[in-house]
Amino acid sequence: MIGTGGPGPGDPPPPGAFTHDEAVMGTVCSFLVHPGSAGPDAARGALGEACAVLHRADAVFSTWVADSPVSRYRRGELTLDECPPEVGEVLQLADAARRATSGWFDPWSLPGGVDPTGIVKGWAVERAAGELAAAGVDGALVNCGGDIATVGSLPGGEPWRVGIRHPWLADALACILAVTGAVATSGTYERGAHLVDPRTGRPGCRAASATVTGPSLAMADAFATALAVGGDDAFGLIEAVDGYACYLVRPDGSERFGAGIDVRS
Amino acid sequence: MRRAPFVGAATVAGLFGVLSFHTKSLSLAALSTTPSSSTSRQTSPSTPPASTPSSPPTSSPATGGSGTPASGGTPPGSTVPPTTTAPSGKASATGPVEQYGYGELNVKVTVSGGRITNVSVPKLLVAESYSQQLAQQVIPMLRSQVLQAQNANINGVSGATYTSEAYAMSLQAALKQLHHP
Repeated sequence: MIGTGGPGPGDPPPPGAFTHDEAVMGTVCSFLVHPGSAGPDAARGALGEACAVLHRADAVFSTWVADSPVSRYRRGELTLDECPPEVGEVLQLADAARRATSGWFDPWSLPGGVDPTGIVKGWAVERAAGELAAAGVDGALVNCGGDIATVGSLPGGEPWRVGIRHPWLADALACILAVTGAVATSGTYERGAHLVDPRTGRPGCRAASATVTGPSLAMADAFATALAVGGDDAFGLIEAVDGYACYLVRPDGSERFGAGIDVRS
Repeated sequence: MRRAPFVGAATVAGLFGVLSFHTKSLSLAALSTTPSSSTSRQTSPSTPPASTPSSPPTSSPATGGSGTPASGGTPPGSTVPPTTTAPSGKASATGPVEQYGYGELNVKVTVSGGRITNVSVPKLLVAESYSQQLAQQVIPMLRSQVLQAQNANINGVSGATYTSEAYAMSLQAALKQLHHP
């Protein structure tokens, strides 16, 4: 691949390109920004707004902070109307994802009450990327712990190239995908059996690695969780949603590529 | 919630974004039954859950006893002064102990001639609920990624990352101590 403007030494970044790491939401969000015609000042300003979006989402939605609005909502101390409006917005999206996946993604089924954590990161990162898009940057990629939202394209108009981590070999890739929009991957190889099968209430996973691409990272995030839990049973449900595509590595190592998955070499 | 300080070390800026990965044509099926790394290991983080492999300059305050890597005993900001070992520009530093989903770890980085020449994991605690085997497998491979970070031909990596996040934070802090670059 030549001249993609990526960060590798063989591909010098376009003028003004910069990166930024922000520690937030228990992880690191990495920004890669190609300001282009927006100019450096506007791009830096939008970066600040983007980080503020992430920190606000963290403050509102963290289930690890006892007095966050979502924690209080889960304990019944706040009604939904008393929560910041974005809580209702996220729960609506979560409900849409639940319905689209026939319940393979279901934050209401989790032990301890509704937990929107499985969609919040994607939602927040999508909004953060939206700040950069609104500033008119030529391109941006926001990678928050493996959930990626992109803006625009690479300088030559080529789509962003995103590696999908190999589920068992962390220094290898399962494949490289051309991505316009968002991509999220879920699997149990990093955090152990943290996924819960909504149908049994017990840990469950029918994928070694579950990747979903699509226009919205919030939905891709939720769908990737559904695909990890549901495996082949969830695959077709997600593929049926306009704009979304699945890449599944089954527990036995076999792979399944959705119609909209654009594999590159 | 733990808040790591903002770190802007350009070398590892976007560690997840620019990390280089081998794009081997791996047969996933063939690997499924042998989930072992082909990465050569320079250090061996093969530790039973509650032990802390000693590494010279760590001042980890709470290394003893319990098998649970609970929070509280390890101030995230605890760092170790860089140990410059030679006038040749070779230096190493150890990052703070970071918590990942199922334990704690920190990272020691050695820089020589402006390049990262070694990355090791002096401390690795793994909760019983987490697969020790998985951790042993992942950590050396994370190190391998860092050492290969110059060859990226991709703009980002999507994956279920958790250990790598703690790893990156500790690594970034260690690099910052060395003012690298």
